[in-house]
Amino acid sequence: MIAGAAWVCLLAPLGAALAIALAGNRLPRRAAGYLATTSTAVSFIAAIVAFAATLDRHASNRETVSTAFGWVETHALSFKLALLVDPLSLVMMLVVSGVGTLIVGYSIGYMDRDDEERRYFAYIAFFIFSMLLLVEAANFLILLVGWGLVGLSSYLLIGFWHKRPSAVAAAKKAFVMNAIGDAGMALAIFLLIQHMGTLEFHAVFSKAASLGPNAWVINVVAAGLLVGAIAKSAQIPLHTWLPDAMEGPTPVSALIHAATMVTAGVYLIVRTHPLFEQAPHVQQTAAGLGAATLLATALMALVQTDIKRVIAYSTMSQIGYMFLAAGIGAYSAAMFHLVTHAFFKALLFLGAGVVIHALGGEQDMRKMGGLRRRMPRTYIAMLIGAGALAGLPPLAGFFSKDAILSTAFSEGVYGKVLFGAGLAGVLLTALYSFRLIFLVFSGEESELVREHLSKHEGREGPRWMTGPVAVLALLAFAGGWLEVAGLWHPFSRFLEGVAPAAFAFSPTPAREWLLSGVSVVVALGGLWIAWTIYSARTQPAPRAPKALIEKLYFDRAYDLLFYHPAVSLAHLLGSLFEKPVIERSVEEIGTGTLRGGRVAAAVQNGLARSYVLLVAAGASLVLLLFLIFR
Amino acid sequence: MLTTSLITLPFAGALAVFLLPASKKWVGSLALVVALTELGIWITGFFGRHHFDFGSARIQFEQKHTWISDLGISYHVGLFTFSFWLVGLTTVVMAAAIAYGLWAGRERANAYYALMLFLTGAIVCVFSAQDLILFYVAFEAMMIPLYLLIGVWGGERRVAATFKFVAYTMAGSLLMLVTIVVYGLSHGFDLTTASTSSSVWLFLGFAVAFTVKAPLFPLHGWLPDAYREAPPEVAAVLSGLISKVAAFGFLRIVFTKFPDGGAGTPLHDLRALFLALSATGLIYGSLLAFRAPDFRGVVAYSSLAQMSLIGLGLFAGGELALSGSVLQMVNHGLISTALFLLAGAIESRASTGVLERLGGMARGRPILASLLVAIGVISLAVPGSSAFAGEFMILAGTLQRGWGWALAGLVAIVLAAMYMLRLISAVLHRESGEAVPEQAPDLRPAELCIVGALLAGILAISVWPAGIGKHSFACLEKTQTVSTAQPSTPAQIGLECVSVTAPVSGNSATSAGANP
Repeated sequence: MIAGAAWVCLLAPLGAALAIALAGNRLPRRAAGYLATTSTAVSFIAAIVAFAATLDRHASNRETVSTAFGWVETHALSFKLALLVDPLSLVMMLVVSGVGTLIVGYSIGYMDRDDEERRYFAYIAFFIFSMLLLVEAANFLILLVGWGLVGLSSYLLIGFWHKRPSAVAAAKKAFVMNAIGDAGMALAIFLLIQHMGTLEFHAVFSKAASLGPNAWVINVVAAGLLVGAIAKSAQIPLHTWLPDAMEGPTPVSALIHAATMVTAGVYLIVRTHPLFEQAPHVQQTAAGLGAATLLATALMALVQTDIKRVIAYSTMSQIGYMFLAAGIGAYSAAMFHLVTHAFFKALLFLGAGVVIHALGGEQDMRKMGGLRRRMPRTYIAMLIGAGALAGLPPLAGFFSKDAILSTAFSEGVYGKVLFGAGLAGVLLTALYSFRLIFLVFSGEESELVREHLSKHEGREGPRWMTGPVAVLALLAFAGGWLEVAGLWHPFSRFLEGVAPAAFAFSPTPAREWLLSGVSVVVALGGLWIAWTIYSARTQPAPRAPKALIEKLYFDRAYDLLFYHPAVSLAHLLGSLFEKPVIERSVEEIGTGTLRGGRVAAAVQNGLARSYVLLVAAGASLVLLLFLIFR
Repeated sequence: MLTTSLITLPFAGALAVFLLPASKKWVGSLALVVALTELGIWITGFFGRHHFDFGSARIQFEQKHTWISDLGISYHVGLFTFSFWLVGLTTVVMAAAIAYGLWAGRERANAYYALMLFLTGAIVCVFSAQDLILFYVAFEAMMIPLYLLIGVWGGERRVAATFKFVAYTMAGSLLMLVTIVVYGLSHGFDLTTASTSSSVWLFLGFAVAFTVKAPLFPLHGWLPDAYREAPPEVAAVLSGLISKVAAFGFLRIVFTKFPDGGAGTPLHDLRALFLALSATGLIYGSLLAFRAPDFRGVVAYSSLAQMSLIGLGLFAGGELALSGSVLQMVNHGLISTALFLLAGAIESRASTGVLERLGGMARGRPILASLLVAIGVISLAVPGSSAFAGEFMILAGTLQRGWGWALAGLVAIVLAAMYMLRLISAVLHRESGEAVPEQAPDLRPAELCIVGALLAGILAISVWPAGIGKHSFACLEKTQTVSTAQPSTPAQIGLECVSVTAPVSGNSATSAGANP
C-alpha cells in the first residue's frame, strides 16, 4: 500500500513529462498544462495516502522500503533503485507535491500565450519527478541521481527563455556551481563505498557509529556532503548562482528556487545527521555557514531593486536559518522552518508573479508603487507573506523561526553567537520584506502602473493564478500552528524517529516566551524602520554601499580565481603545447614519411639483386630484434 | 558459428555492394540491409538454445581452424562477455553510420559502402580474434578503409588529415607487429593458450601501440584533424569504435598476458605512469574541449577526455573500475556517434561547425534541440544517465587505487559540464547565428530515426546500467586471489580471472590515503 503509493507519487509526473515531450505539437497547448497539473495532483494524493497509512502504524514501525532492481551492480556490490518512505521523506513528499500542484496550476495562467508552453510543462513535470526521487531515495546513489536531475531541470528551466543571453548564462552558472557540489557528494559516496561497502542509509549510519566520532573518513564524507548541500541550497560560498537564476519564469523561481529544490541541502543534512553527528566540526561549520549566509544575504536583499531578486536573497537567508538549525542538531526545527518557508516563500514569489504579469513583465520595484488600491487581494496576500517571512505572530514564520532561535540560545557559547546572528537577521528580514511591500504597494501610483492597469481587465490575473495564491496565503497564515512551543508538538512528534528535535532541548516556558517576545520586538523594529524610510515613497532611497551592490565581490572573486585562470590555462595549453608540440610533431612525421617514401620508391628499381639484399637486411634486422628482446 | 557469421557477412556484403551495378540509393540500401542483418544476428545471440551465457567466464561462440600450423597460427575467434557487448556496439554504430551515409547520399557509392561494410567485418574480427596474427591482420584491415574513407570522402583538408593519421597509426602498427612477432614466437600466438610475460619491452610495445590508437595523451596528435576532416559518420566510427578497439587491446592482451604479479612485473611498475597519463589526458582534453572553436573540435577533445577516463578505469583495475570501463566504452560509443551525426546534421544546415557563427538553432527546430540537449547532458554524465553510471563505477573504483586519480576525475566532471553546456548553448541558444539560414529545417525523419534510435539505446542502458555493468566480467567472485596464480589448463583461462587484479587492501582505512 505505502510502497505502491510511493511509486505512483514518483512516476506520475515522469509519465506526464514523457507524454508531453513525445506528443509534441499533437498535444493542444492547454492540455500540456492540465496534464502536468493533474499528474502533480496525483502525486499529492498518493503522498497523502502514504502519509495516512504511515500515520496509522505504530511510531516505531513507520518505515517502508521498496526495492525495484539493482541499478549499478558488480558481483561484489549492489546499489539498488529503492524508495524509502518514512516520516522525513513523507514531509518532503507532501511539500513537494502539494506546493508543486499549486505552482504548476498557477503556471497554466502565467505561461498562457508563451510560444513554448509545452516544453515548459514537460520540464516542470520532470522537475517534480526528480525532486520526488531525491526525497524518496533509500540510498546515497539514488539520492545523488535525484540530486543531479533536479540540477538538470533547474538548468533547463532557468534557461527556458533561451533567446536571452543573460538567461543562458545564468542557467550555465547554476549547473556548473551545482556540478561542483555534485563532485563533492560523489567523493563522499566513493569513500563510503570504499570503507563501508554499502550505500544504504541505515547500514552506513550504523557502521559510522561504530567508527566513533571524528574518524577521518566520516569527516571527509560529511565535508563532501556539506559541499553538495551548500551548492544546492545556495549557501556561502557557493551561493552566487541563485540570484541569477531569477532569469527563469516566476513560477519556476517559486517552486525550484524557493520552496523545494534549494532546501534539498537542509533535507540532506537532516537525512544524514547520524554522519554529521560523528563529525561535529563539520556540523558546526554548517551552522556557521548558515549564520554567515543569513546575515550577508539579508544585507544584500536590502539593496536589490528587482522584486524577484529581493525574494531570492531572502530565500538564501532563510535557508541560512535552516542550516543553522541543522548544524546545532535542531533537526525538526529545521524541517519545520523548511515547511513554513515553502508556504510563505512560494506565496511571495507567486504574488510577485501576479504583479509582474500585470505590469507586462516589469520587475524593477522603483518603477512600481501604489498598487495597493489596484490589486487589493494581492496586496493582502503579499502582506501575509511578508509578515510570515518577518516572523510576526500569528503567521507561519513566527513559530518556526522561534523554534530555531530558542534552541540556538540554549546551546552554549557557540549557540549564543549563532543566536545573536539569527536575531540580527530578524531585524534585517523585517526591514527588507516591508521595504518590498512599501515600494510596490504604497504611495502614489507610478506611471507604469497607470499605463498597465487602466486597461488591465482581470486586474489581478486569471483564476489559475489567484487561486493558488489564495491557498498559499491561507497556509502561510495558519501553517505555523502545526507546532506551538510549549503547547503542542505534533510535527516534531511525527519526525521524532528520523529527525530528533535537538540534543538538549528543554528551555523553560518562561524563557521561551521571553525569547519570542524579544524577536517579535526586533521584527517590529525592522518594520518600523522600513515604514519610516520607504512607506511614503517620496524621499530618495538611501544610497546603498558599493560592496553590497557588488554582492560582496563573490562573483568577481570567482571570475578572477577560477574562471579566468581555467580559460587562460586552456588557451595556453592550446597555443603553447597542443599546436606547436602535438600537432606539429605529426606534420614533421608526415613530411618525413614523404621523404622516406621517395627513398623507398627509389629502392623499387626492378633489380633482383637489390631486392635480395633488402630481404637479407630485413631478415637480419628481425634476428637482431630477437637477440635484443630475448 | 555466430561469431564467424558476424565476421563473414559484412565481408560478403562488401563484395556484393562493390559489384552491384545500381544507383547509389540502391547500393546504399543494400548496404544498410546487410548492416541491419548484422545487428539482427548479434541480437539472436541473446536468444535461442545456444544463447550467450553472461554468467560464464569462458569464450563463447568459439571457432578454431588451423591456419599456419608450423607457427601455431590459427583462425581462432570467440567472444568473452565484454567482447560480446563491444561487438554489439559495433553492429549498432556501423548500422547508424551506413544509414547516415545513405541519407547524406555519398558519391562513388559502390566503393563507399563496400569500404564501410569491410570496416564492419574487420572491427568485429578484431573484437573476436583469439589469435595474435589474426588480431593484427584484422587490425590492419580495419585501418585501410579508414584511410580511404577520410582521404577520399573527407572535408577540405582531408589529405593532410589522412597523412597525419596514416603516419601516426602506421608507426603504432609497426611497433605492434614487431611486438606480436617477438611475443608470439616465444609465448605462442593463440591468446587462449599463450603464456604470460613480464617483459617490460613487450608490454610497452603493445601498450604504446594501443595508446596511439585510443588515443591517449600525449599520442593523440592525429585526433583533431582526423575527427574534423572525416565525413561525420566516419568520425563517429573513429571515436565510437576505433578508440574502443584500443581499449579492447588493453583488456584482452595487455592485462591478461602481462598480469600484475607484484614488483618486477611491468603492469605493476608502470601502472602509475599510465594512470598519470590518463589523468593528464582527462584534464587536458577537457580543457581543450572548452577552448575548441568548433562543434567537432569539442566532441573530438571530449572523446580524448572520455578515452582517458576509460584508461583510468582500466589501469586502476578492480571489478568496479573495469566493469565501469566496459560500460563506459559502450556508452561513449553510442554517445559520440550520436554527437558526430548531429554535428553532420548541423554542418549540412549551416555549412560550418564554427561555434561563433552558429546559434539560435533551437528556435523552430524542437527535435534538433531536444536531441542535442538530451545527448549533450548525458555525455556530461548527468546523474541518472548511463554515462553517469559508468563514470561513477570507474571513479569509485579508481578511488580505491588512490585518491589523486579520482580527484582528477571529479575535476573533469565539472569541466565536462562547462564544455558541454558551452557547446549546447552556442548551437541552440541566443539569437540566430550568421551562418544559420532562417529556413534551415528541423531534423528530417531519417535523421531523427538514426539519432533517435541511438538515444533510445542510451536511455535503455540508463534505466538498467547494471545490465552491462554486472554482465561484462563473469568470474569475478573468485578473482581476489587469482591475480598471481596461473591457471593450468587452457580451458580454465578465463580472461577476467587473470586480468582483474583488485587494488591492494582496498577496504582498510589505512591504505586509502596513500597514492600508488
